[in-house]
Amino acid sequence: MRKRNKTKDKSGDTIFPLNIDELEKVISSKFENNPDIKFSTYEQQGRKVAIFFIDYQVDVQKLQESLLGPLLNMEKEWSNDSIVNEIPLNSATKISSLDEILKRLVIGEVIIYVEGENESLTYLLLHKESRSLEKAETESLVLGPKISFTESLATNLNIVRWRIKSTDLVLEEVKIGKTMPHDVRIVYMKSIANEEDVNTLRQRLKELDVDEIEDSVVLKQYLEDSQYNLFPQFDHTELPDRFTYSIKKGKVGILVENSPSGFLTPSTLFSFLESTEDLYMRWQAGTFLRLLRFFAMAFSIIVTPMYVAAVSFQYTIIPTEILITIGQSRAAVPFPPLIEALILEFLLELLREAGARLPTKVGQTMGIVGGIVIGQAAVEAGLTSNILIIVVAMSALSSFTVPSYLLGTTIRLIRFPLILLAGFLGFLGIMFGLSLLIIHLLRLKSLGRPYLVPLYPLRLEDFNKVFYRTPFNFTNKRAKAYKPKDLIRFNKKDATKKRDIDE
Amino acid sequence: MDVNVKTKASVQIQAFYLFYIIVGIQVGVGIMGAPKFIFLEAEQDAWVSILLTFVFMSIIVLVMFAILKQYKNADIFGIQFDVFGKWIGTILGTIYILHFTASLLSIMLTYSEVVNIFLYNTFPNIALGLVLLSLTIYTVLGGFRVVVGAMFLFFFLSFWLIFLLYDPITRMEWTNLRPMFQASIPELLKGSRATTYTVSGFEILFLVYPFIQNKKNAKLPVFLGIAFTTLLILVTTVISIGYFSPNSLKNVDWSVLLLFKSVSLTFFERLDYIVIVEWVMVILPNLVILMWGVTYGIKRLYKVPQRVSLYVVSLFLLVIVSIVKYEHHITTFTDFVAKVSFWIVFVYPLLLLPLVWIKKKWRKRKGSAST
Repeated sequence: MRKRNKTKDKSGDTIFPLNIDELEKVISSKFENNPDIKFSTYEQQGRKVAIFFIDYQVDVQKLQESLLGPLLNMEKEWSNDSIVNEIPLNSATKISSLDEILKRLVIGEVIIYVEGENESLTYLLLHKESRSLEKAETESLVLGPKISFTESLATNLNIVRWRIKSTDLVLEEVKIGKTMPHDVRIVYMKSIANEEDVNTLRQRLKELDVDEIEDSVVLKQYLEDSQYNLFPQFDHTELPDRFTYSIKKGKVGILVENSPSGFLTPSTLFSFLESTEDLYMRWQAGTFLRLLRFFAMAFSIIVTPMYVAAVSFQYTIIPTEILITIGQSRAAVPFPPLIEALILEFLLELLREAGARLPTKVGQTMGIVGGIVIGQAAVEAGLTSNILIIVVAMSALSSFTVPSYLLGTTIRLIRFPLILLAGFLGFLGIMFGLSLLIIHLLRLKSLGRPYLVPLYPLRLEDFNKVFYRTPFNFTNKRAKAYKPKDLIRFNKKDATKKRDIDE
Repeated sequence: MDVNVKTKASVQIQAFYLFYIIVGIQVGVGIMGAPKFIFLEAEQDAWVSILLTFVFMSIIVLVMFAILKQYKNADIFGIQFDVFGKWIGTILGTIYILHFTASLLSIMLTYSEVVNIFLYNTFPNIALGLVLLSLTIYTVLGGFRVVVGAMFLFFFLSFWLIFLLYDPITRMEWTNLRPMFQASIPELLKGSRATTYTVSGFEILFLVYPFIQNKKNAKLPVFLGIAFTTLLILVTTVISIGYFSPNSLKNVDWSVLLLFKSVSLTFFERLDYIVIVEWVMVILPNLVILMWGVTYGIKRLYKVPQRVSLYVVSLFLLVIVSIVKYEHHITTFTDFVAKVSFWIVFVYPLLLLPLVWIKKKWRKRKGSAST
């Protein structure tokens, strides 16, 4: 197939040989109203050569030093072969079709045409603006590498390569987007990643029929197993260490051009609650933090609905002393608990959203105005009870502990239907909502693999990678749930061998 | 219809999940009121009756395994088809399906009664029916693996309730259990028969057996499952006998739920509300596996897609649940289901085994004669 295409290209659209003036007309007709195309002609020993490019796409200094200089000082007669030989640049390609020329112009290549030749030469002298490596903003770590991915794919690949110095690392290239193609890389370890997963992902990418994608997060949504549910199914990260950690454990990653984040698959609900920091801590602290996050997630979902249910229906479950306090603080509130909770949750979501949209400097003021002034005023004005403010604040605080921003958003969203259910059916409603949530999670899949693994299907041997941490000499295996090709990381016997006293 | 069932590897489960399936289907609404019924028959020796039931159950489970072993990968529908032929096989299969449907109905009715008594006095049955059925439908739509997954997770999510019994244990009057061994053997047998409604459900083994991946290891989890259920009933019954006075135990309907009434934590007074609500997670495994069994059976017997029968059966259940109003109707119905399930669960396999043996021998003879 590919071969046939090539020959067709050569014979079909070729515009050469061509007069240089005509070539200039053709090219400028394609870039109407675009002043950026630079077309220059040189003559030497009776032969004419045309050089054209888009000036901001090309590294001009490099062009001067390594292309124009040698070309004009060349003593041999200009021809395609002599130029390829004499110019101290690699990556020369010979092309003849107009489409191909235009495509290459756009991505920053310099095109040289010697009058009378059947093909033109192109050199990649790409000049790409990119920001320098910065600290991660959305996912922050206390320990460990702070660097985050940038918008430049080359930089990201460079970081990944540096973090995994192995020939096993595969960075497979796929183009996504029919009209505006994006470079997409499938990243995995050849000897570890499960073949089936890689194939599934590759197939999903190839079958994807879209005109363009905005970002890796968008591509992620295109590729996910189910579009109709709340939970993110692929893990999304801007941290290279989190990315490479998962790759090394046998997951498959995707990096997208112009996107400062990659995503990882297959994922489970629990992988969104993992942070690489758990590894950098000692195992006791790592375990504690991880369990804390699990607890926080459950707590965040459940606490406001519990308040609503208890205060509206089953208030006898509240111990008498607290009931008196709640009663006192609610005495001035004219709304039922459901409305009260919804108002306050809404207010908090407003604060959070405004804080995310505003510039950082104003954002801080926002926090103070929103959190302290409005909160205090709301209580004094009798809009809400101060117990509820504590409850809602705790719930919000807990939802921030989730390392993945996407899952954090999901958790915030889940709360609202639960509050409504609690307001209508009391604890029965909460139980209904939670059961529905659990069944929903059971039904979810990520890249065809169960979302709740290793809890269900049960894989006890993976628990120490997911729910808690053990000292490193016990984690000699990779997670079995992902069925990696190579399960064993190191010999457990050597790792746990005990030396005799004073040996 | 094929006698043997071909199951895809993607829907097969490991044998150890049988434990959760058996416990999940056995423990449900029955256990809420079981101590009273056993106590009525065998008084303070109720625990002996329960142990007797365990012995019967073990025998029946062995018989069921013996029946299933005669075939490569068959379920009860296929076996009945093979033994009795097309017509009787279909009728017997339909009886099984009706039995499951009746159990579903009795669970939902009983739970709605409990909610009406303990939680909301005027809560409409149709609302509760909708809540329970929507959860069931959503689970069954996910397929067999999701059904098993729900049973597995909800086992752990409701298991902690047992720890709340620490409080009634401290309030127990141990002398209520004495004098021991006063009940006569017929009384004990009657007591163990009263236990059967609570422990029925393990006949689901007849349906899920073809879905087990490692059939060799299937026996242990099943036995552990029935042992665990027996232990639960034993513990709750013994606590009930000690907690209530003999006369009052005979008169309380939901003795196990009442046990939780005295439990109180510093941040939760009146845990019984939580317990009754949490019981949704106890009965959900019942509902999902029974609903799966009903729809799967209809598919096997009448080739109706499970998706269709699921909605039809759910609608039927919802209508019935919202019609039934009076407590005595529910009690009569539950008693009826209990009686029928005794015959289907405990007696029928004993009759089926010799027939399966005869059929196998007859086939062997026929096979050797023809060759």
